[in-house]
Amino acid sequence: MSQIEAVSDPVGDRVGKPVAEPVIILKDIRKKYGEFEALKGVNLEIGRGEMFGFLGPNGAGKTTLIRILTGIIKPTAGAVLICGHDLLAAPDLAKGCLGYVPDRPYLYEKLTPLEYFDFVAGLYSIPHPDVLKRGEEMLRMFTLWEWRNELIESFSHGMKQKVAMSSALLHDPDIIVVDEPTVGLDPKSVKMVKEFFNSLVQRGKTIFLTTHTLSVAEDLCHRIAIIHHGNLVALGNLENLQKLSKSPGSDLESVFLKITEEESELPPHPSTQPGKLV
Amino acid sequence: MTAAFLLIPAIRGARRNLGKRSPKVLAALAIGGVLFALALYLGLYKFLEYIARAPMLGPIFGPMVGSLLASKFLEMLFLSLFFMILFSSLIAGFSAFYLDDEIRLLVSTPVRATHIFWSRFVLMVVESSWMVVAFFTPIFFAFATALKAPFWAYFVFPVYLGMFLLLPNILGGVAALGLASFFPIRQMRKVCQFLSAMVLATMIIFFRFLEPEKLLNPKYFSSVSNYILNLKNPAMEYFPSTWIHQASLTLFEGNMSESLSAILPVFFSMLLGLALLHLLAKYFYLASWQASLEAVENQVLGLEWIRRALILPMRFFAEDFRVVAVKEITVFLRDPAIFSQIFMMAAIVFVYGYNLTIIPLKDLPSLYSGEISDSMVFFNGPFIGFILAALGMRFVYPSISLEGRAFWAVKASPIQPSRLLKVKFFLYLVPTLFLGFGLCFISNRIFQVSNGLLYWLSFLNVGLMALVITALAIGLGALYARFDADNPLKIAGSFGGFVFMVLSAVYVMNLLVLESYPLFRLYFIRFYPLTQASGKILVLLSFFLLLVCTVLWVYIPLSQGKEAIERYEPD
Repeated sequence: MSQIEAVSDPVGDRVGKPVAEPVIILKDIRKKYGEFEALKGVNLEIGRGEMFGFLGPNGAGKTTLIRILTGIIKPTAGAVLICGHDLLAAPDLAKGCLGYVPDRPYLYEKLTPLEYFDFVAGLYSIPHPDVLKRGEEMLRMFTLWEWRNELIESFSHGMKQKVAMSSALLHDPDIIVVDEPTVGLDPKSVKMVKEFFNSLVQRGKTIFLTTHTLSVAEDLCHRIAIIHHGNLVALGNLENLQKLSKSPGSDLESVFLKITEEESELPPHPSTQPGKLV
Repeated sequence: MTAAFLLIPAIRGARRNLGKRSPKVLAALAIGGVLFALALYLGLYKFLEYIARAPMLGPIFGPMVGSLLASKFLEMLFLSLFFMILFSSLIAGFSAFYLDDEIRLLVSTPVRATHIFWSRFVLMVVESSWMVVAFFTPIFFAFATALKAPFWAYFVFPVYLGMFLLLPNILGGVAALGLASFFPIRQMRKVCQFLSAMVLATMIIFFRFLEPEKLLNPKYFSSVSNYILNLKNPAMEYFPSTWIHQASLTLFEGNMSESLSAILPVFFSMLLGLALLHLLAKYFYLASWQASLEAVENQVLGLEWIRRALILPMRFFAEDFRVVAVKEITVFLRDPAIFSQIFMMAAIVFVYGYNLTIIPLKDLPSLYSGEISDSMVFFNGPFIGFILAALGMRFVYPSISLEGRAFWAVKASPIQPSRLLKVKFFLYLVPTLFLGFGLCFISNRIFQVSNGLLYWLSFLNVGLMALVITALAIGLGALYARFDADNPLKIAGSFGGFVFMVLSAVYVMNLLVLESYPLFRLYFIRFYPLTQASGKILVLLSFFLLLVCTVLWVYIPLSQGKEAIERYEPD
């Protein structure tokens, strides 16, 4: 969590207390696929300018929660508030505040990056000249400007990931939801993405990210939540998590492994009970 | 590990897909399919029975020439079947042998390359042949019944047919392997799609120029003996379609031993073909597959000026409409496979137009010529509907599925997915209407329609059909969307595509039934003027019902599609 100190942690001191200016509120989110319950009542509040890490083993419910948060799928029960807008009642307003970068960058392969940006911008009602300007900035930053007139189908996974990331930021959203931000990126790009995320947070943007690369979460995130079997089993900064797992001084990887291994022995996290957030 | 083992995922996938369907829908479609096959069988049987007698040629020459004619039709069917499956297997072969992602995984395992190849070959055969076989089986059985085949012939014939169908598939497989060994596959696939479509379209046009209807018209005979001799000669003596034709004829006559000797060339060709394919697979498959990975498509393709011209008017529409329309047009024009399909469709339209021009309207008796010519407009409507439905199935129906896995971008954006549905509906309605009206205008000119009301009514019919067909294509395309499929042909040939075609046909029937009374009155208005109030009320009621039905035919599929697309949860 050294990075947190470096960016004058805006929310670190709020751990354990209600978030002052929440931009994401999840209330008792449940999701069932037939008989299988992927999410069993998740409650969360994430504040403005917070870098929030959402971790969990495979199949724990991370991607399901992210998809609910971005409005791609609907919860079976519960409510999602984005920047004060109910995602289910006013999806257009809520989604307008969000930018989403999926873990697998499936894009329209027969378009060039600039054409793709134009398409995405239209979906978010961004004026055309702004798109071109912002698109150029993003492509230059991700060193893709020379590829602007090539079809996306010829891009590598990492390049597509950069295009997806750029398109998510076109409308300058208040909240950026990122699923596995560093998969497929080369080390230089990973460093650049980390710095870029930090700069966004400093500008008051909120970032909600999931990752299996625990060092990334440890480096970047102010707070971390761990989900296991559809339940939120831990929430807090590294120090809180170390205390919870009774492993002081350990790194996030050890804490994570301990929490997810011993999850069944731990008492349910208060945040999983409606109305009681850490 | 055997090739059969490698087919298990495909079989399980197919069963899973089938299991997802509502049992009621499946039962309705099964019953509909059986009824359609039965109608085809009985209709063709009656036709063949009539042809076999050929009463227009008199009692002596009729049966003699008639049986030869029926035999000639059977030969033509086998020839068509051979070429249809050959082209289909060539395209399916590239996809099955080289382009499926699953192969990467299989190649990295200790499975032998030949086993991978044969498992893919089976998939290729199924993909290229199932629909054609389903359609042709009742046709062949109609021939068997018309030729009074013994009951056991119905069990032997499918074995013959299976062997025969393997031949074009083997040839398609050999061609796919051969071409992929020497050319970059990703480019070759496009070239071959284009070439095969061109050849197939040429065949259709060539077939039409042969004017088989002349076979039934004595006016064209110079001498009967010449004609009979001509009928007796096979089109191509050393060709599998001739072999199976001879074998089937003798089989249907109940002559088993002669039939078996006639089928031997097919059997040995099949064995030889399989052995050759095995050798080619053993020595070339893996290397050609590896070479196929090297070719990358990375350039924006030509025809940019068409794209720019088409997207230009879009700037006058709302922003969300504009971007969806521009994306749709761009993706459409940059898919090289689309051109071969457009070419095929153009050939169908050409054949349709050509058929209209050869209808001998000039020879009709003068008293009723106006009415008969006008009534052609009524019967022409369903043909235009069929063309619109065929185009809709290929180009409009897959458009929702072709959003593919990139659809998350729309789902995560503020735009409602139902808006996408609306934009696509209006976007595809325009060319469908244009084409429909164009065909209607041309056919009305050819028929020289004398009744002004009927003239405009034909446009109304086409307009309504275009509206419903587009709504069905978009609505059902969303309801049965397959976002995991990237091949429009696969999407069009899926379960939902079949439902779309059936429902399009049902609507056309619905339209014809509701219009039959008003049109009947219109045709004979000069003999029976429409003076009674009850007659006028019935005419008005028919049109009112037609409008109500059309609104429902548009609303129901679109609202069902809207619900499905809102409900859809991307993987």
